[in-house]
Amino acid sequence: MPTIQFREALRQAMWEEMERDPTVFLMGEEVGEYQGAYKVSEGMLAHFGPGRVLDTPISETAFSGLGIGAAMAGLRPIVEFMSWSFSLVCFDQLMNNAANVRYMSGGQLKVPIVFRGGNGIAHQLGATHSHRVDALYSRVPGLVVVAPSTPYDAKGLLKTAIRCDDPVIFLESEVMLSDRGEVPAEPYTLPLGVADVKRPGRDVTLVCWSKMVKLCLKAAEELAAAGLDAEVIDLRTLRPLDEGTLAASIARTHRCVVVDEDWPYCGMGAGIVERLYARVFDELDAPIRRVCCEDVPVPYSHYLEARMQPSVEKVVAAVKEICYV
Amino acid sequence: MSVVNQANEAQAAVTTGAQAPVMLARLRMMMLIRRFEERTYQEYTKPGQRIGGFCHLYSGQEAVAVGVAAVFQKGRDYLINAYRDHGHSLALGMDPRAAMAELFGRSTGCSKGKGGSMHYFQVEVGNMGGHGIVGGQIPLGTGLAFACRYRKNGGVAFTLFGDGALNQGSFAESMNLASLWKLPCLFICENNGMAMGTQVHRSSAEADLARRGMGFAMPCRNVNGNVLDEVIEALGEACDRARSGQGPSYLVMNTYRFRGHSMSDPLKYRTRDELERAKQQDPIVLYREKLRKQGIVNDEMLEDMEQQIAAIVDEAVQFANASPHPEPQELFTDVLAEQYPLSKGDV
Repeated sequence: MPTIQFREALRQAMWEEMERDPTVFLMGEEVGEYQGAYKVSEGMLAHFGPGRVLDTPISETAFSGLGIGAAMAGLRPIVEFMSWSFSLVCFDQLMNNAANVRYMSGGQLKVPIVFRGGNGIAHQLGATHSHRVDALYSRVPGLVVVAPSTPYDAKGLLKTAIRCDDPVIFLESEVMLSDRGEVPAEPYTLPLGVADVKRPGRDVTLVCWSKMVKLCLKAAEELAAAGLDAEVIDLRTLRPLDEGTLAASIARTHRCVVVDEDWPYCGMGAGIVERLYARVFDELDAPIRRVCCEDVPVPYSHYLEARMQPSVEKVVAAVKEICYV
Repeated sequence: MSVVNQANEAQAAVTTGAQAPVMLARLRMMMLIRRFEERTYQEYTKPGQRIGGFCHLYSGQEAVAVGVAAVFQKGRDYLINAYRDHGHSLALGMDPRAAMAELFGRSTGCSKGKGGSMHYFQVEVGNMGGHGIVGGQIPLGTGLAFACRYRKNGGVAFTLFGDGALNQGSFAESMNLASLWKLPCLFICENNGMAMGTQVHRSSAEADLARRGMGFAMPCRNVNGNVLDEVIEALGEACDRARSGQGPSYLVMNTYRFRGHSMSDPLKYRTRDELERAKQQDPIVLYREKLRKQGIVNDEMLEDMEQQIAAIVDEAVQFANASPHPEPQELFTDVLAEQYPLSKGDV
């Protein structure tokens, strides 16, 4: 099986879907002539032409809204945000328009659109460019939120997202784009709303997604050395949440740690923990623990930035605490 | 019929009377909108209120909605609007019963009781809705225009907003992008002189709102929004330009609203004299008198039309009142289009 980069997997998904469906098009800042700010869309302008790969001005409100309007009219736009932090500029378009027009119209409209780009903390980008928007969008009825952790998942999930008739918030990470992984040469898709067990285990359930999956897998190795067998569940889709897979795992392990990059208060992990308590409280042998970012803006200093985020050490410590070892 | 023909024929009809039925239909639609809105006012304010929420009436601006409908081509054009959306929806053919039922929040409403006054939709005719956030719909309008251009079907997106929306960033961003990409978008500002209670001179540094469109390399013009035939002529010209691939236009329809911004507006920011002066320019009176002078309409016909329209609006209220509330399970429908977990394998 070929081994490719995360960015290539994303490109393959878009490329194949644009070949398959003439209503799919890509737009965003620097996606065309610049070949993508992070080279995700490299070569696409030359292949598909300027009618389907469109460089936009730095006008997030205009081009995100344009995408939504085009989707209301039946096209299938892929809108790239150079960073999800920039989506805060056009939050109204996503929150009020993409998410609401179907409901407000009594089901007369569909909004088949994908918004994608880098989410979360990268390397020393400071507070404005490091936002984690997971919880901002996952709490909104009318949106679907996807956050892959591997090139294989990224390709299969993005292809389904493009074919999906609902607005999909697709969260990537700048620091994962060069990650490599096996991706089949043959076309495939993966389902939305289905979590994936990345590592089976008996003693504790680690719930994670996106960048935190690698971190949890490393933590699981350290825990194994200490005699604790961790199950690592990659949510892949944050909304709708695959509660069934999580509940089934916790029914076996009786312990759970939710690991995410968000802030502690009202963060993505908080929402997941609330759902789990409602469903598996009686199964638990210890309180669910969370490992997340510190409750501060994201600092520039590499030293402080690292301390602000979850780490293998923090995850291992949290697991040991609830396993009483 | 091409737009230019339609516009020209409407103009020709002014002199020849050849299109009298079309002109009567336009007058009748303006009268229906006025009657619908004034009845809505009564229903909103009477004891045992059956209409809730924010409700923005269109009385005084009817020539703009009817002018848009005159050049609108169902099947390929789109209209998107702000929240003062009753008039445009009726003008594009919405059943007054569905419109009134939506105000009553009933399942028979145009949006199944889920949208309300600010969110009328009739997608089958290209009415892509009223939208509640000032200026939020303008980028969507450029997207509808983009879809027309993408499909090369000659369609145009009528993107309507009020004078208040000019001060939102979405206006400037959308004007730039639409012109840059030469999208078939008509940016139509309905300048009724007041953004809620803030008059234009207190919100816009530039008093001439057409000049607010300069700098985007597209035609900008002021139009007397109270004179139906001037509205149709201006829209026809802009439509021809858009349909032939020359890009967007920006039109300011200068008009006036007779009622408050919404039902809760005490109207303390304007004088009775100002309103009385505006009523001298009532678009319905202007058009009616024009047709009267040409012998197209007379008092007897007008009385008949008034009675028919009153009956239509009465029936709409009765229909709305007799319609069921949405079923409890309707709360959970229409959130997403797909069922999850969602697989989309190659088929």
